[in-house]
Amino acid sequence: MATPAVQVVLDTDVAIETPEHIVFRHRVAGPARRMFAHFIDLVLCYGALLVVASLIVLAALGGGALASSMETTLKLGVGLLLLLLFAAQWVYFVAWEAVKGTTPGKMALGLRVVTTEGRPVGFVEAALRNLLRAADALPVGYVVGVVAMAVSGRFQRLGDLVAGTLVVIPERMRVAGSVVLWPPAKADEWRDVPDTVQLDADERAAIELFLRRRATLGQAREHELARMIAGPLLARHRMDPRRLDANPSRALALLFDRAQNAGRYEGPPSSRGEAA
Amino acid sequence: MIPSAVTEVAFVERRQRDWTDLEKLAWRGTREGLRRLAPDDIVRISPLYRNLCSDLARAQAARYSAPLVEYLQGLTAISHTLLYGPFARAKRARVSLASWLYAFPRTVRARKWPMLLAAALFFVPFACGVAAAIHEPAFAFRIVPEAMLRPLTEAYAKGFAEGRASGDDALMAGFYVNNNVGIALRCFALGIFGGIGSAFYLVHNGLSIGAVLGYVASQGAGGNILTFIVGHGSLELGAIVIAGGAGLMLGWSIVSPGERTRLASLQLAARDAVVLVCGAAVMLLMAAGIEAFWSGSAIPSVVKRALGVTLFVLVWGYLLLGGRGAPARGAAR
Repeated sequence: MATPAVQVVLDTDVAIETPEHIVFRHRVAGPARRMFAHFIDLVLCYGALLVVASLIVLAALGGGALASSMETTLKLGVGLLLLLLFAAQWVYFVAWEAVKGTTPGKMALGLRVVTTEGRPVGFVEAALRNLLRAADALPVGYVVGVVAMAVSGRFQRLGDLVAGTLVVIPERMRVAGSVVLWPPAKADEWRDVPDTVQLDADERAAIELFLRRRATLGQAREHELARMIAGPLLARHRMDPRRLDANPSRALALLFDRAQNAGRYEGPPSSRGEAA
Repeated sequence: MIPSAVTEVAFVERRQRDWTDLEKLAWRGTREGLRRLAPDDIVRISPLYRNLCSDLARAQAARYSAPLVEYLQGLTAISHTLLYGPFARAKRARVSLASWLYAFPRTVRARKWPMLLAAALFFVPFACGVAAAIHEPAFAFRIVPEAMLRPLTEAYAKGFAEGRASGDDALMAGFYVNNNVGIALRCFALGIFGGIGSAFYLVHNGLSIGAVLGYVASQGAGGNILTFIVGHGSLELGAIVIAGGAGLMLGWSIVSPGERTRLASLQLAARDAVVLVCGAAVMLLMAAGIEAFWSGSAIPSVVKRALGVTLFVLVWGYLLLGGRGAPARGAAR
């Protein structure tokens, strides 16, 4: 199998190195998700504006037995509305992101704004990325922003580029159970499995994915899939080619278990029995 | 292959309790803020996070299965975001108001070339507008619609003896905030396109304000409109120039990045620009207050002019002298 010298993963991940010299990955949010979050924010802002506007009209009608007082109430109300409109356009996003690192719309979609170093944003970053919104929204419907996202490679619109921020999707994952050889291997199953099994990262990942999924496959399909990769692997490790016809899936499980656990202490019963 | 490593099953079994603890704390901290957590929990997060980091390194080195590594990475990511966050430097909030007060005039002075260019881009068309409209009043109609100019002129010609109708003040305050601050912020933001957006806004605003002023003056109400403008003018026009200058600066940092990459140069300029824009926005908010509640009121014009001149001196004094001799900006930050 020919693998390129440097593997470039084509994915929407960003690697970030911490002061502890650990590299972790953030999943970056794409335009669709962010547009939807933005839509929710707009609905919230302008919905609130609409509510205030109707309250003002009600107040003006209710208190407006005198024509002059009704006019005054309306004028006061419109002044207030204009202030709120300003807040909705320029303050809402900055305030939420500076304090919480996210807006209600982003929260609803599980998005968060972080700096390119993976830290939470402060006031300066929040202000910059949201001021530049005016440029991103041009000429209509965030066309400039989407183009910038496509070009930047990390889904950064102009505001994100200037402020040095990313919109990420922090995911809450659960610990997946490890792949365990089941049922435990009988002694004679190991007879032709070599002591050291060398699998590269891709093979390991492929076999692992297969072993995790095989319970959801029909038996015929399971063996059919296993046979594709088991053939070369069995040949490489000089194992009995008859396994291919008998139970290729089991052969893969044995190979994987040996690669993962051989020589490691506190192993599961299968490999411990073998090591002894 | 690392022969001394434990198997994945044993590794997970041994460490999972710490991970679950950290996971609960980190998500609660992210949702409610680090300061809402109990003191004991806050103390625990840091060692739990450091242990998690070494667990992640170990899991990657031992080539444990992908889902486990992904889980540990995700947990590292949210814990990192929480621990290195603004909660960790909450005390600086008090310092920053004073430092912003110093930083604003200092930044204006440090970036004097874009400021001067913005002033030229605003005041040259402004002067042209005034001159052209006084010389030939119909010129103003090409820039501002006649239907708007005529009632405006009548209002100024009437003077301010009656003051404004009740409620008008508040209405106009809302309008000035929304309109003027919005224009200044947009004028800054569009500077990112090589400064062209900012230049356009500066020229356009200079020309239309000049034309209005010139037209009203040509109709014989020049004294009144001057009395109106003098109160908030120094703040408002100064702020528009500063915001536009910040936009020009942003554009220039891309056009001529010097020895940095264009992106790095842009990000560096943006750190200064944000100080300028926030300062300009505050100036405009003050100007909007003055314009709505003071400039149009029935206060005698002598008082208005005196205050206008005082404000003019104060604004220039602040911009030229403010923050000199204060602790260096790096120290305050």
